[in-house]
Amino acid sequence: MKKKNSKENFFSRKQFQLLIVCVVMGFIIGYSYNLAKDNREAGSANKELFEQEETYREELIAQQERNKELTDEANALQEKIRKYEKSFVASKKDYTKLVEEAEDLRLLLGDLNSEGKGIRITLQDGDYDPKSANPNDYIVHESHVFKMLNELKISGAQAIAINGQRVLANSYIRCNGPVITIDGKQHPAPFVIEAVGDSATLIASLNLNGGVVDQLLNDNIVVSLEENQKLSMPKVKVES
Amino acid sequence: MWLPFLGLIFGLALGLLTNIQIPSIYENYLSIAVLAALDTLFGGIRAQLQQVYDDKVFVSGFFFNIALAAGLAFLGVYLGIDLYLAAIFAFGVRLFQNIAIIRRILLTRIDEKRHKRNKNSIE
Repeated sequence: MKKKNSKENFFSRKQFQLLIVCVVMGFIIGYSYNLAKDNREAGSANKELFEQEETYREELIAQQERNKELTDEANALQEKIRKYEKSFVASKKDYTKLVEEAEDLRLLLGDLNSEGKGIRITLQDGDYDPKSANPNDYIVHESHVFKMLNELKISGAQAIAINGQRVLANSYIRCNGPVITIDGKQHPAPFVIEAVGDSATLIASLNLNGGVVDQLLNDNIVVSLEENQKLSMPKVKVES
Repeated sequence: MWLPFLGLIFGLALGLLTNIQIPSIYENYLSIAVLAALDTLFGGIRAQLQQVYDDKVFVSGFFFNIALAAGLAFLGVYLGIDLYLAAIFAFGVRLFQNIAIIRRILLTRIDEKRHKRNKNSIE
Protein backbone atom coordinates (compact mmCIF):
# COMPACT_ATOMS: atom_id res chain seq x y z
CA MET A 1 0.00 0.00 0.00
CA LYS A 2 2.70 2.28 1.01
CA LYS A 3 4.70 1.41 -2.04
CA LYS A 4 1.77 2.05 -4.30
CA ASN A 5 1.07 5.35 -2.65
CA SER A 6 4.64 6.50 -3.03
CA LYS A 7 4.69 5.31 -6.59
CA GLU A 8 1.50 7.21 -7.28
CA ASN A 9 2.99 10.20 -5.60
CA PHE A 10 6.17 9.87 -7.58
CA PHE A 11 4.25 9.46 -10.76
CA SER A 12 2.10 12.47 -10.14
CA ARG A 13 5.11 14.54 -9.14
CA LYS A 14 6.99 13.50 -12.21
CA GLN A 15 3.99 14.22 -14.35
CA PHE A 16 3.58 17.55 -12.68
CA GLN A 17 7.17 18.53 -13.33
CA LEU A 18 6.92 17.41 -16.89
CA LEU A 19 3.71 19.34 -17.26
CA ILE A 20 5.33 22.50 -15.97
CA VAL A 21 8.31 22.08 -18.25
CA CYS A 22 6.11 21.46 -21.23
CA VAL A 23 3.88 24.41 -20.45
CA VAL A 24 6.91 26.69 -20.11
CA MET A 25 8.43 25.36 -23.30
CA GLY A 26 5.15 25.69 -25.16
CA PHE A 27 4.78 29.21 -23.88
CA ILE A 28 8.29 30.16 -24.93
CA ILE A 29 7.96 28.66 -28.37
CA GLY A 30 4.53 30.08 -28.96
CA TYR A 31 5.50 33.47 -27.69
CA SER A 32 8.59 33.64 -29.84
CA TYR A 33 6.57 32.45 -32.83
CA ASN A 34 4.09 35.21 -32.15
CA LEU A 35 6.85 37.73 -31.82
CA ALA A 36 8.55 36.53 -34.96
CA LYS A 37 5.26 36.76 -36.81
CA ASP A 38 4.78 40.30 -35.57
CA ASN A 39 8.31 41.11 -36.58
CA ARG A 40 7.79 39.57 -39.98
CA GLU A 41 4.66 41.60 -40.52
CA ALA A 42 6.30 44.72 -39.20
CA GLY A 43 9.32 43.97 -41.35
CA SER A 44 7.22 43.53 -44.46
CA ALA A 45 5.27 46.66 -43.60
CA ASN A 46 8.53 48.44 -42.97
CA LYS A 47 9.86 47.19 -46.24
CA GLU A 48 6.82 48.45 -48.04
CA LEU A 49 7.12 51.79 -46.33
CA PHE A 50 10.80 51.85 -47.08
CA GLU A 51 10.19 51.14 -50.74
CA GLN A 52 7.55 53.81 -50.84
CA GLU A 53 9.91 56.23 -49.15
CA GLU A 54 12.61 55.28 -51.58
CA THR A 55 10.42 55.96 -54.59
CA TYR A 56 9.30 59.24 -53.11
CA ARG A 57 12.86 60.15 -52.39
CA GLU A 58 13.90 59.30 -55.90
CA GLU A 59 11.06 61.38 -57.24
CA LEU A 60 12.09 64.22 -55.00
CA ILE A 61 15.68 63.95 -56.12
CA ALA A 62 14.64 63.91 -59.76
CA GLN A 63 12.41 66.89 -59.14
CA GLN A 64 15.20 68.71 -57.36
CA GLU A 65 17.61 67.98 -60.17
CA ARG A 66 15.08 69.25 -62.67
CA ASN A 67 14.62 72.35 -60.51
CA LYS A 68 18.34 72.85 -60.42
CA GLU A 69 18.60 72.51 -64.17
CA LEU A 70 15.79 74.95 -64.68
CA THR A 71 17.30 77.37 -62.19
CA ASP A 72 20.62 77.16 -63.96
CA GLU A 73 18.89 77.77 -67.24
CA ALA A 74 16.99 80.71 -65.79
CA ASN A 75 20.21 82.11 -64.39
CA ALA A 76 21.96 81.74 -67.70
CA LEU A 77 19.11 83.48 -69.50
CA GLN A 78 19.05 86.22 -66.89
CA GLU A 79 22.75 86.72 -67.37
CA LYS A 80 22.28 86.85 -71.11
CA ILE A 81 19.56 89.45 -70.76
CA ARG A 82 21.72 91.45 -68.42
CA LYS A 83 24.56 91.35 -70.89
CA TYR A 84 22.28 92.50 -73.67
CA GLU A 85 20.90 95.27 -71.54
CA LYS A 86 24.32 96.30 -70.41
CA SER A 87 25.73 96.37 -73.89
CA PHE A 88 22.66 98.24 -75.07
CA VAL A 89 22.87 100.79 -72.28
CA ALA A 90 26.60 101.07 -72.66
CA SER A 91 26.40 101.66 -76.36
CA LYS A 92 23.58 104.13 -75.89
CA LYS A 93 25.50 105.88 -73.16
CA ASP A 94 28.59 105.80 -75.26
CA TYR A 95 26.76 107.26 -78.22
CA THR A 96 25.13 110.05 -76.24
CA LYS A 97 28.40 110.72 -74.51
CA LEU A 98 30.29 110.75 -77.75
CA VAL A 99 27.73 113.02 -79.37
CA GLU A 100 27.84 115.39 -76.43
CA GLU A 101 31.60 115.35 -76.41
CA ALA A 102 31.75 115.97 -80.12
CA GLU A 103 29.36 118.88 -79.69
CA ASP A 104 31.43 120.29 -76.86
CA LEU A 105 34.61 119.86 -78.81
CA ARG A 106 33.08 121.53 -81.83
CA LEU A 107 31.99 124.42 -79.70
CA LEU A 108 35.39 124.67 -78.08
CA LEU A 109 37.03 124.54 -81.45
CA GLY A 110 34.76 127.28 -82.60
CA ASP A 111 33.45 125.40 -85.58
CA LEU A 112 29.94 126.32 -84.71
CA ASN A 113 28.09 129.43 -83.87
CA SER A 114 27.50 129.17 -80.16
CA GLU A 115 24.29 130.39 -78.78
CA GLY A 116 22.74 129.81 -75.46
CA LYS A 117 22.55 130.65 -71.84
CA GLY A 118 25.72 131.63 -70.19
CA ILE A 119 27.46 134.16 -68.04
CA ARG A 120 29.30 137.36 -68.75
CA ILE A 121 32.22 138.40 -66.62
CA THR A 122 33.73 141.79 -66.76
CA LEU A 123 37.24 142.32 -65.49
CA GLN A 124 38.14 145.92 -64.98
CA ASP A 125 41.28 147.55 -63.74
CA GLY A 126 41.09 148.77 -60.21
CA ASP A 127 40.67 152.40 -59.44
CA TYR A 128 43.75 154.45 -59.63
CA ASP A 129 45.49 154.32 -56.27
CA PRO A 130 47.80 157.22 -55.70
CA LYS A 131 49.42 155.51 -52.73
CA SER A 132 50.57 152.58 -54.78
CA ALA A 133 53.63 153.32 -56.76
CA ASN A 134 53.28 150.32 -59.01
CA PRO A 135 50.33 150.34 -61.42
CA ASN A 136 50.79 146.59 -61.89
CA ASP A 137 49.12 146.14 -58.52
CA TYR A 138 45.74 147.10 -59.81
CA ILE A 139 45.57 146.37 -63.50
CA VAL A 140 44.26 143.18 -65.06
CA HIS A 141 47.03 140.90 -66.15
CA GLU A 142 46.88 138.11 -68.62
CA SER A 143 47.37 135.67 -65.72
CA HIS A 144 44.02 136.75 -64.30
CA VAL A 145 42.38 136.14 -67.62
CA PHE A 146 44.09 132.77 -67.75
CA LYS A 147 42.79 131.78 -64.36
CA MET A 148 39.34 132.84 -65.36
CA LEU A 149 39.50 130.94 -68.61
CA ASN A 150 40.81 127.78 -66.97
CA GLU A 151 38.15 127.88 -64.30
CA LEU A 152 35.48 128.36 -66.91
CA LYS A 153 36.76 125.48 -69.00
CA ILE A 154 37.00 123.19 -66.03
CA SER A 155 33.48 124.08 -65.02
CA GLY A 156 32.18 122.98 -68.37
CA ALA A 157 31.90 126.15 -70.39
CA GLN A 158 31.18 125.20 -73.95
CA ALA A 159 32.36 128.31 -75.67
CA ILE A 160 34.32 131.27 -74.43
CA ALA A 161 34.85 134.61 -75.95
CA ILE A 162 36.82 137.62 -74.79
CA ASN A 163 35.65 140.97 -76.00
CA GLY A 164 33.71 139.19 -78.70
CA GLN A 165 36.64 137.09 -79.87
CA ARG A 166 36.28 133.33 -79.55
CA VAL A 167 38.94 131.70 -77.45
CA LEU A 168 39.77 128.35 -78.97
CA ALA A 169 41.59 125.34 -77.68
CA ASN A 170 44.72 126.47 -79.41
CA SER A 171 44.37 130.17 -78.73
CA TYR A 172 47.16 132.03 -77.09
CA ILE A 173 47.06 134.98 -74.78
CA ARG A 174 49.95 137.26 -74.23
CA CYS A 175 50.56 140.15 -71.95
CA ASN A 176 51.38 143.14 -73.85
CA GLY A 177 51.75 145.98 -71.42
CA PRO A 178 48.39 147.48 -70.64
CA VAL A 179 46.71 145.31 -73.24
CA ILE A 180 46.59 141.57 -73.87
CA THR A 181 46.98 139.91 -77.18
CA ILE A 182 44.68 137.08 -78.10
CA ASP A 183 45.60 135.24 -81.26
CA GLY A 184 47.31 138.32 -82.52
CA LYS A 185 44.52 140.75 -81.73
CA GLN A 186 45.03 143.26 -79.02
CA HIS A 187 42.36 143.86 -76.45
CA PRO A 188 42.38 146.60 -73.82
CA ALA A 189 40.75 146.53 -70.46
CA PRO A 190 37.99 146.07 -69.50
CA PHE A 191 37.79 142.50 -70.60
CA VAL A 192 34.38 141.07 -71.13
CA ILE A 193 34.55 137.30 -70.95
CA GLU A 194 31.54 135.50 -72.18
CA ALA A 195 31.01 131.81 -71.54
CA VAL A 196 28.22 129.59 -72.78
CA GLY A 197 27.29 126.85 -70.41
CA ASP A 198 25.32 126.01 -67.32
CA SER A 199 25.34 129.45 -65.73
CA ALA A 200 24.51 128.20 -62.25
CA THR A 201 27.48 125.83 -62.27
CA LEU A 202 29.78 128.39 -63.76
CA ILE A 203 28.89 131.08 -61.27
CA ALA A 204 29.07 128.71 -58.38
CA SER A 205 32.50 127.48 -59.39
CA LEU A 206 33.81 130.99 -59.90
CA ASN A 207 32.45 132.10 -56.55
CA LEU A 208 34.01 129.31 -54.54
CA ASN A 209 35.66 130.44 -51.33
CA GLY A 210 39.26 131.20 -52.26
CA GLY A 211 38.27 130.69 -55.86
CA VAL A 212 39.02 132.76 -58.90
CA VAL A 213 36.82 135.69 -58.04
CA ASP A 214 38.31 135.96 -54.55
CA GLN A 215 41.82 135.89 -55.94
CA LEU A 216 41.01 138.55 -58.52
CA LEU A 217 39.40 140.73 -55.89
CA ASN A 218 42.53 140.35 -53.81
CA ASP A 219 44.44 141.71 -56.75
CA ASN A 220 42.30 144.86 -56.67
CA ILE A 221 40.44 143.94 -59.82
CA VAL A 222 36.83 144.84 -60.25
CA VAL A 223 34.93 141.69 -61.17
CA SER A 224 31.35 141.66 -62.13
CA LEU A 225 29.36 138.57 -62.94
CA GLU A 226 26.07 138.48 -64.71
CA GLU A 227 23.89 135.76 -66.00
CA ASN A 228 22.88 136.07 -69.56
CA GLN A 229 19.91 134.38 -71.06
CA LYS A 230 21.13 134.50 -74.56
CA LEU A 231 24.70 134.77 -75.66
CA SER A 232 25.69 134.39 -79.22
CA MET A 233 29.18 133.87 -80.48
CA PRO A 234 30.12 133.77 -84.08
CA LYS A 235 32.04 130.83 -85.39
CA VAL A 236 35.65 131.33 -86.08
CA LYS A 237 36.55 131.85 -89.65
CA VAL A 238 39.74 130.07 -90.22
CA GLU A 239 41.96 132.31 -92.16
CA SER A 240 44.52 130.42 -94.00
CA MET B 1 1.81 10.21 -21.46
CA TRP B 2 -0.88 12.55 -22.73
CA LEU B 3 -0.54 15.10 -19.94
CA PRO B 4 2.79 16.64 -21.08
CA PHE B 5 1.46 16.98 -24.60
CA LEU B 6 -1.62 18.66 -23.26
CA GLY B 7 0.65 20.96 -21.30
CA LEU B 8 2.68 21.68 -24.43
CA ILE B 9 -0.42 22.56 -26.41
CA PHE B 10 -1.69 24.70 -23.54
CA GLY B 11 1.63 26.50 -23.36
CA LEU B 12 1.65 27.06 -27.12
CA ALA B 13 -1.84 28.50 -27.02
CA LEU B 14 -0.89 30.72 -24.10
CA GLY B 15 2.21 31.94 -25.96
CA LEU B 16 0.30 32.57 -29.16
CA LEU B 17 -2.45 34.43 -27.36
CA THR B 18 -0.16 36.66 -25.33
CA ASN B 19 0.49 39.84 -27.14
CA ILE B 20 3.15 41.50 -25.04
CA GLN B 21 5.68 43.46 -26.99
CA ILE B 22 9.25 43.25 -25.78
CA PRO B 23 12.07 45.51 -26.94
CA SER B 24 14.02 44.13 -29.86
CA ILE B 25 17.20 44.03 -27.73
CA TYR B 26 15.72 41.17 -25.72
CA GLU B 27 14.89 39.03 -28.71
CA ASN B 28 18.31 37.42 -28.42
CA TYR B 29 17.41 36.21 -24.95
CA LEU B 30 14.23 34.70 -26.26
CA SER B 31 15.93 32.87 -29.09
CA ILE B 32 18.43 31.44 -26.63
CA ALA B 33 15.65 30.47 -24.28
CA VAL B 34 13.91 28.62 -27.11
CA LEU B 35 17.12 26.86 -28.01
CA ALA B 36 17.81 25.90 -24.40
CA ALA B 37 14.29 24.59 -23.97
CA LEU B 38 14.50 22.50 -27.12
CA ASP B 39 17.90 21.21 -26.09
CA THR B 40 16.66 20.19 -22.69
CA LEU B 41 13.57 18.58 -24.16
CA PHE B 42 15.54 16.48 -26.60
CA GLY B 43 18.09 15.74 -23.90
CA GLY B 44 15.25 14.46 -21.76
CA ILE B 45 13.92 12.26 -24.55
CA ARG B 46 17.39 10.86 -25.19
CA ALA B 47 17.87 10.16 -21.48
CA GLN B 48 14.51 8.44 -21.41
CA LEU B 49 15.50 6.28 -24.33
CA GLN B 50 18.89 5.52 -22.80
CA GLN B 51 17.19 4.62 -19.53
CA VAL B 52 19.13 7.23 -17.56
CA TYR B 53 16.28 9.67 -17.18
CA ASP B 54 16.19 11.63 -13.95
CA ASP B 55 13.39 14.10 -13.55
CA LYS B 56 15.39 16.26 -11.14
CA VAL B 57 18.19 16.61 -13.65
CA PHE B 58 15.67 17.24 -16.37
CA VAL B 59 13.70 19.97 -14.62
CA SER B 60 16.71 21.66 -13.06
CA GLY B 61 18.56 21.45 -16.42
CA PHE B 62 15.62 22.99 -18.20
CA PHE B 63 15.37 26.05 -16.02
CA PHE B 64 19.06 26.37 -15.31
CA ASN B 65 19.99 26.18 -18.97
CA ILE B 66 17.45 28.83 -19.88
CA ALA B 67 18.65 31.08 -17.07
CA LEU B 68 22.30 30.54 -17.97
CA ALA B 69 21.72 31.26 -21.61
CA ALA B 70 19.79 34.40 -20.80
CA GLY B 71 22.48 35.47 -18.35
CA LEU B 72 25.20 34.89 -20.91
CA ALA B 73 23.33 36.93 -23.46
CA PHE B 74 22.77 39.65 -20.88
CA LEU B 75 26.46 39.69 -20.02
CA GLY B 76 27.33 39.77 -23.72
CA VAL B 77 25.10 42.76 -24.30
CA TYR B 78 26.73 44.64 -21.46
CA LEU B 79 30.27 43.65 -22.41
CA GLY B 80 29.70 44.44 -26.05
CA ILE B 81 30.61 40.90 -27.05
CA ASP B 82 28.17 38.60 -28.76
CA LEU B 83 28.39 36.01 -26.00
CA TYR B 84 24.95 34.66 -26.82
CA LEU B 85 26.60 33.16 -29.90
CA ALA B 86 28.47 30.82 -27.55
CA ALA B 87 25.19 29.68 -26.04
CA ILE B 88 23.60 29.25 -29.44
CA PHE B 89 26.59 27.28 -30.63
CA ALA B 90 26.72 25.02 -27.59
CA PHE B 91 22.98 24.40 -27.55
CA GLY B 92 22.88 23.90 -31.29
CA VAL B 93 25.62 21.30 -31.22
CA ARG B 94 24.03 19.50 -28.30
CA LEU B 95 20.66 19.64 -29.98
CA PHE B 96 22.00 17.96 -33.08
CA GLN B 97 23.90 15.40 -31.04
CA ASN B 98 20.85 14.57 -28.98
CA ILE B 99 18.68 14.22 -32.05
CA ALA B 100 21.33 12.04 -33.71
CA ILE B 101 21.48 9.78 -30.64
CA ILE B 102 17.69 9.55 -30.50
CA ARG B 103 17.59 8.65 -34.17
CA ARG B 104 20.18 5.90 -33.75
CA ILE B 105 18.47 4.42 -30.75
CA LEU B 106 15.14 4.43 -32.55
CA LEU B 107 16.73 2.88 -35.61
CA THR B 108 18.32 0.06 -33.62
CA ARG B 109 15.04 -0.56 -31.86
CA ILE B 110 13.16 -0.75 -35.13
CA ASP B 111 15.83 -3.10 -36.45
CA GLU B 112 15.57 -5.26 -33.36
CA LYS B 113 11.79 -5.38 -33.65
CA ARG B 114 11.96 -6.34 -37.28
CA HIS B 115 14.56 -8.96 -36.47
CA LYS B 116 12.37 -10.37 -33.71
CA ARG B 117 9.33 -10.43 -35.97
CA ASN B 118 11.32 -12.12 -38.68
CA LYS B 119 12.56 -14.62 -36.18
CA ASN B 120 9.00 -15.16 -34.96
CA SER B 121 7.67 -15.57 -38.47
CA ILE B 122 10.46 -17.99 -39.34
CA GLU B 123 9.86 -20.01 -36.27
